[in-house]
Amino acid sequence: MKLSLTPKLSTFLKPSLATNLRRSVCSSSLSRPPPTSLKPQSPLFLRPPIHSATSSDLQKWHDWAKTLASSIGSTFADSDNGPDSTLLCRELKWLIDDAIEEEDEEEIENDQRKIRLRVALEELYLLWKQRIQERRPFQYIVGCEHWRDLVLCVQEGVLIPRPETELIVDLVGDVVSDNEELREGLWADLGTGSGAIAIGIGRVLGAGGRVIATDLSPTAISVAAFNVQRYGLQDVVELRQGSWFDPLKDVEGKLAGFVSNPPYIPSDNISGLQAEVGRHEPRVALDGGVNGMDDLLHLCKGAAFMLKPGGFFAFETNGEKQCKYLVEYMENDAGGSFCNLSIVTDFAGIRRFVTGFHK
Amino acid sequence: MSSFLHRKRASRCWVVLCRNPNAETQFVRSVLFSTLHEPQPRNLNKPPKPQNATISIESHRILDPGPCSFSPKTSKTLPGSLQNVKNSFASAKSSGFSSNLGLPMVKSLFGFHGDLSRCSLVRLFGTQAAQEPSTSDGLTVDRILNSEWPILTEEESDWKSHATAIAQSIHLIKKRLQWKKLLVRLDMLSVELNKPDLWNDPVHAGKISREHGSLMGKMKEVKAFEQELLEHVDMIKLAREENDVELESESMKALLEMRITSKEKETQALLAREQDPCSCYIEVQSGAGGTESNDWASMVMQMYKMWAQRRGYKMTVVDEMPGEIAGIKRATIKIDGEYAFGYAKAEVGVHRLVRISPFDSNKRRHTSFAAVAVTPILGDVSAHVQINESDLRIERFRSGGSGGQHANTTDSAVRIVHIPTGITATCQNERSQHQNKASAMAVIQARVDQLEMARQTQKNAQYSQSLTDITWGSQIRSYVLQPYRMVKDLRTNYEVSDPDSVLEGDLDGFILSYLSASLDKDEDDR
Repeated sequence: MKLSLTPKLSTFLKPSLATNLRRSVCSSSLSRPPPTSLKPQSPLFLRPPIHSATSSDLQKWHDWAKTLASSIGSTFADSDNGPDSTLLCRELKWLIDDAIEEEDEEEIENDQRKIRLRVALEELYLLWKQRIQERRPFQYIVGCEHWRDLVLCVQEGVLIPRPETELIVDLVGDVVSDNEELREGLWADLGTGSGAIAIGIGRVLGAGGRVIATDLSPTAISVAAFNVQRYGLQDVVELRQGSWFDPLKDVEGKLAGFVSNPPYIPSDNISGLQAEVGRHEPRVALDGGVNGMDDLLHLCKGAAFMLKPGGFFAFETNGEKQCKYLVEYMENDAGGSFCNLSIVTDFAGIRRFVTGFHK
Repeated sequence: MSSFLHRKRASRCWVVLCRNPNAETQFVRSVLFSTLHEPQPRNLNKPPKPQNATISIESHRILDPGPCSFSPKTSKTLPGSLQNVKNSFASAKSSGFSSNLGLPMVKSLFGFHGDLSRCSLVRLFGTQAAQEPSTSDGLTVDRILNSEWPILTEEESDWKSHATAIAQSIHLIKKRLQWKKLLVRLDMLSVELNKPDLWNDPVHAGKISREHGSLMGKMKEVKAFEQELLEHVDMIKLAREENDVELESESMKALLEMRITSKEKETQALLAREQDPCSCYIEVQSGAGGTESNDWASMVMQMYKMWAQRRGYKMTVVDEMPGEIAGIKRATIKIDGEYAFGYAKAEVGVHRLVRISPFDSNKRRHTSFAAVAVTPILGDVSAHVQINESDLRIERFRSGGSGGQHANTTDSAVRIVHIPTGITATCQNERSQHQNKASAMAVIQARVDQLEMARQTQKNAQYSQSLTDITWGSQIRSYVLQPYRMVKDLRTNYEVSDPDSVLEGDLDGFILSYLSASLDKDEDDR
């Protein structure tokens, strides 16, 4: 596990304390506390190791799970670009990493080594069945996604942050590195989901920098709040529930920068998506309308009145077509209020991001 | 380990070449021939004939532990009689004084004729001789060595035996540290350190002062060890004079302890190079030949994983490219721990397997190859080569598709190409792209650093590091499972008849024999 938990955070493991702590999360957040009615699910790796299994029983499960994974071959990959068995086997290894409590002293019972687990063995069978048979995303199975150097909790109802999106934080990191006004300014992450970008940016800004993260979904807000708290950023990242610019009326024209990974998949494409995405992830975070540009255009329009002069924006898009369209739109229709527009490719070579500055 | 050291010691041949009974102070010279040759016992009894010797001085290697050592390069200035002696070295060697002859063998081959005394040598090599520590009655480490006192087992309370064993260790340690070069380098560094404008370039200055500190530490440690030996010898002599039984037994005990520590120091001295303490990457690549080769590559990788576990190192898989049916085409692991590179560097090269392939339905015998590369991970960040972002091409493997929100994959493998050098690194075992990129980047950094070191080494050949060369080419070891069972190192001829234990990671015998052979053969490096 990459993230070492502070003692304070580990108390999240105890359900009785969790409620109290959650209240304190909210009160320590900035002006508008997010709704507290929803309690995010605890990711597997943070659960207490209260279960156990003998090494031979665990081995049996592992053999079964591996056989199941191997039986897939390239079936999923061929049908909808899903995972092949090599990848599923790697996920199996990570599932074990998250589910097993590593300990120095071994418990021996009837000549059998006891292994402490964060989830009952029966549930491990169930989880792996869900992974293979229902194509439930691995990240929902373990309740977390490793993203950049973060481990972010995710659950059904919240978009799983994608590797491509990691680059937005680098883009922001680059522009703030030599610009103090941006580094110490107010930023916004619209449609934050798990809070990934907001947390990533919150960690590259200067001491005075702040981020407002918004999302329409109360589930997303509660999961994001949990993640913000886990990284101790509750004084840096403020969560607000609402649609796009609605919760940002008080900061119009004041933003040093804003970023977003809005839904951008054209509605027609939704039905043909990879099963992990189409069947399990929230449609509201994926569907960008007829040509996938509904929300991106809305954000572009808003950029002009939300950003202060010199402010920076970065959006993730569906690819080359959308990038080009957006750049053209901002050059021509947006009345020349932007400069230094550019298109940035992701590591797979796809034109993925549009960035620019407010004049 | 200890059996290995024993083997090493048994292969020494002590040749005492000259003894001048008339000289005011006797001096004796010892030469250590420790070669990789097969023994040639037929020539054993032939006395060398110096007057006929025509062999070039430069072609043989003289090892000399002492203060009044001479290097072959000074030969022109030496008086004729010494030239004869030197020729006799050459002929002694050429007539077959080589390894495996046992303990002190040849005595007093020549006497000195006349005019050469210690003084003239002292003048030649004055600075070192002046520092030579000795006991109150003038006994030095060299003279202990040259006294040829028999070495008895550790249980025997004989100070001469202990002292000789320790002196031999000191001799070996100095050789492994490349003592003479080390002193030259220290002098150079001291000169550099005394320059008034040194700190105008703080990075360079830091490097110089760190190296100086490290070499000084090694030098002082050996000197202190020598001093300690002589002090205990003094104490024993004193105790005998005074009939102080308690003091004598205490000093004897101290000598015995030194004798035991000296064995550890011998091993430490094998790992005295600058990068030896580093962690490292081990990369295994399968040779041509499909599944059988891929399987062999994965066996080799497994061998290193188990070796790392035995040594208590932390092992992480960075990159693994599976073969189509079995095994791996390529894999890189990271070994974290003290001296991981120092040991693992002995594994660089091609490893050969001969067996009846389980993948061949006709049960034929196959020969497969796997290449191993080892790269140190420099702990000192300031020593890293600066890599420009613009020189990198970062690629993400993705099986087509639109990516982004369309795809949910946990596969975030990253490949980085360092364009100027063509070095590439891949990582797919981390759970985020960012981490995969960081891991691959660390591999790139280490390889670029290694390349730079190799370049520096070539530039600066007198302080060379022949071991860090990234040589994939040469075959270093053979593993035969059928028709007979044996693992044999082609560089040292070290062999083991139990391939299973080797494949389970019992590699230290091979590693240490190679390290000592490669250091001990560089006799002119002293």
